Amino acid sequence: MNAFGLIQIGLILLCITTISSLQCNHLPLQQRKVIEKSLQLLDKMGKKFPQQCLREKMSFRFPEQVLKPRQKETVKVAIEEIFHHIFYIFSKNLTLASWDGTALEQFQNGLYQQIEQLEACVIKKQTHYFWNKDVNRLKLKKYFQKIDCFLKDKQHNLCSWEISRAEMRRCLQLIDKVIRKL
Amino acid sequence: MDGGAAVAGMGRAAVVVLLFCLLVVLPPHCAGQTNLKSPQDIQVYVVNTNFTLRWSYTGNDTNVTFSAEYRWFEDETDETEWKELHGCQNVTLTECDFSSAITKYYDTHHVRIRAERREEVSPWSSIFEMIPYFIAQIGPPGVQLQSTNGVIKIKVSPPEANQVRKMWLADTLFKYTLVIWENSSNAEFRNRSIFPTDVIDDLAPDTTYCLKVRAILTSESQEGLFSPINCVKTTHKVSDLLCATNVSVLALDMKFHLHWNNQYKQHVSYNVQYLTGYLKTFPDKRSVNWLSVPGCENITNTQCNFSSIITSSGCYYLRVQAMSEYNRSCLSDEIEVNPLVTNEIGPPDVKVDISDLLLHIQISPPGGSESEFMRDYYDWSYRVLYWKNSSNNEEEIKMKEIKQTIGTVSDLTPSTLYCLKVQAFSKFYNKSSHFSKEECIKTPGDKILPLIILATFVTALVAVLLLAMPLIFALYQAYNKIKYVFFPSCQPPLNIEGFGGQLLSSPYVSTTEEPIENCCIIETIITEEVNQIDFKDYKHSKQSSRDSGNYSNNDDASGSKVSEEMLEKEIV
Repeated sequence: MNAFGLIQIGLILLCITTISSLQCNHLPLQQRKVIEKSLQLLDKMGKKFPQQCLREKMSFRFPEQVLKPRQKETVKVAIEEIFHHIFYIFSKNLTLASWDGTALEQFQNGLYQQIEQLEACVIKKQTHYFWNKDVNRLKLKKYFQKIDCFLKDKQHNLCSWEISRAEMRRCLQLIDKVIRKL
Repeated sequence: MDGGAAVAGMGRAAVVVLLFCLLVVLPPHCAGQTNLKSPQDIQVYVVNTNFTLRWSYTGNDTNVTFSAEYRWFEDETDETEWKELHGCQNVTLTECDFSSAITKYYDTHHVRIRAERREEVSPWSSIFEMIPYFIAQIGPPGVQLQSTNGVIKIKVSPPEANQVRKMWLADTLFKYTLVIWENSSNAEFRNRSIFPTDVIDDLAPDTTYCLKVRAILTSESQEGLFSPINCVKTTHKVSDLLCATNVSVLALDMKFHLHWNNQYKQHVSYNVQYLTGYLKTFPDKRSVNWLSVPGCENITNTQCNFSSIITSSGCYYLRVQAMSEYNRSCLSDEIEVNPLVTNEIGPPDVKVDISDLLLHIQISPPGGSESEFMRDYYDWSYRVLYWKNSSNNEEEIKMKEIKQTIGTVSDLTPSTLYCLKVQAFSKFYNKSSHFSKEECIKTPGDKILPLIILATFVTALVAVLLLAMPLIFALYQAYNKIKYVFFPSCQPPLNIEGFGGQLLSSPYVSTTEEPIENCCIIETIITEEVNQIDFKDYKHSKQSSRDSGNYSNNDDASGSKVSEEMLEKEIV
């Protein structure tokens, strides 16, 4: 392959990345809308937090330093990871929670769509590499593992689901705040 | 003599016993000085939650066993004591499985191992530090194949399916890559990504294909291990005319319609089914939870309005089930619908208003009554195209981008007909709507010019008046003076009326004697002439001036005349 061919390919690749990254420049705004919608749906899903579940409330201690914007790119990757985990939690056995199925479906579908869009956007490989080995990432994973274990221990009963829902709501609100600053 | 020999013998025995004792006692103390080497090159391999410890041992490995210890750090600094590593105690091989011991996948662990032989132990090896999650690999997924009707139906189960303890928590986010090739020489390897439940249909019939699948977690940038190779033969392809073909979507704003073709000659009824997008990633039986689209059950026409199921921004899958009279059914291919991407956007609504030279535009976003949903996601910006509508078609079309639904256009010329049309566009989705209707409006005439003319006129008028007034006044005054001089209006008093006839005989004639008094002799001659002149003068004055004051003037005048005549006479 001669040099000219290589140049052509290089230009095409540059084009594609530019086009795809152009759209990704508007992603934060898009994300804000999705998060707003997700928060609305979370509220719509169930009723007010039941009083009897207050004594079972646990402190999970979300690692907020994960969202402190040292680097914009790191925060974006962190948000993507949090979406993954929230999506996973809500795909568990929800029969005992007896929530509004439609609202739940819309919530999950919107969140999944957002995850797909984030993955499609050109995120620097380097950022991913550094994030993958980041200590804060492990803290985040431990946090979600705690919630997962909590749900398993309580056999996915209503109170455990309500507490988890409140916790996820708090998560999304934190993300919302951070995205507005981005 | 014998006693001495006995004592010597006893002494020797004691020495031997002592030496023996020493030999027995000493070795334990000298354990560290044995030949046992410590194991080296410690490696840990982790696949899902299976931990394997491997090492190398270079020493004499007869009857050598190995035992390992581990400890972990709770919160980076809180370390536990060294514990025995279950599964790696007294092993004879140079590898062991210690999966049961590790439960904290996100904490730092230390592992060390040593060789043992009977009572001998080697020194501990160097410590191997690890965080299980970071060195774990994604294991192979489970694969089930079914060859029907010329296609291969594939069902993939995630790497840690049915495991209580999982390394990879978010298993719904696995994506799967398939590598498939024909089981022949010089076969081409084809890669494609698939869903947990998928159909591979671009295959030749009656051919054996081999394939392998691996799971991928994009968030970890990790590709898992491949499943074992599985080979299957495709069957004959029988195209069932019953099946619906060419399933397509036509969408305008938030109204979605599904269309398909039918080649079956007899009566067919259709049932349109849908699946919410994210469920496709669920590998268990929830993914077969296809629901019927309300209003499209048991229909006979080949189209369906499925707008009612589109409630979120995520994607949906649709398929058509065709049923014949003999209870035979056939499922069409699935079609993916991404609501915010596949639809066409209708035109926005525009209202225009004009004030002075500002054009006010009021835009209603596209979608009409359903625009709430669209407005939430699309975040519309608007492009306003406007141009002068004249017979000359080469007028330049100008463009203005506005973000709100109210905008103004200001660089307009007066008394011109402008036309505009508006298009909504979404930056993120890179979509533009249809253009709105053209709205035309005429800019008002220039109000300023007539005002200027009026102002100029008034100013000029005022100026003229200002200049003219003194002039007229002066003229008037001059006129009066002239009139007074040349056309006195003074009238003689009443008793001087009829003066003209009796003048000669009247003693009042002596009034004219005043000038007579000046020049006596000449006067006598001149008096007649003067009198005549006076008569004339008097007549004149009678006729014209009424002001008696003028009399003296006339006298003067006549006096002057007299002097002239006197002079003439004198000269003569």
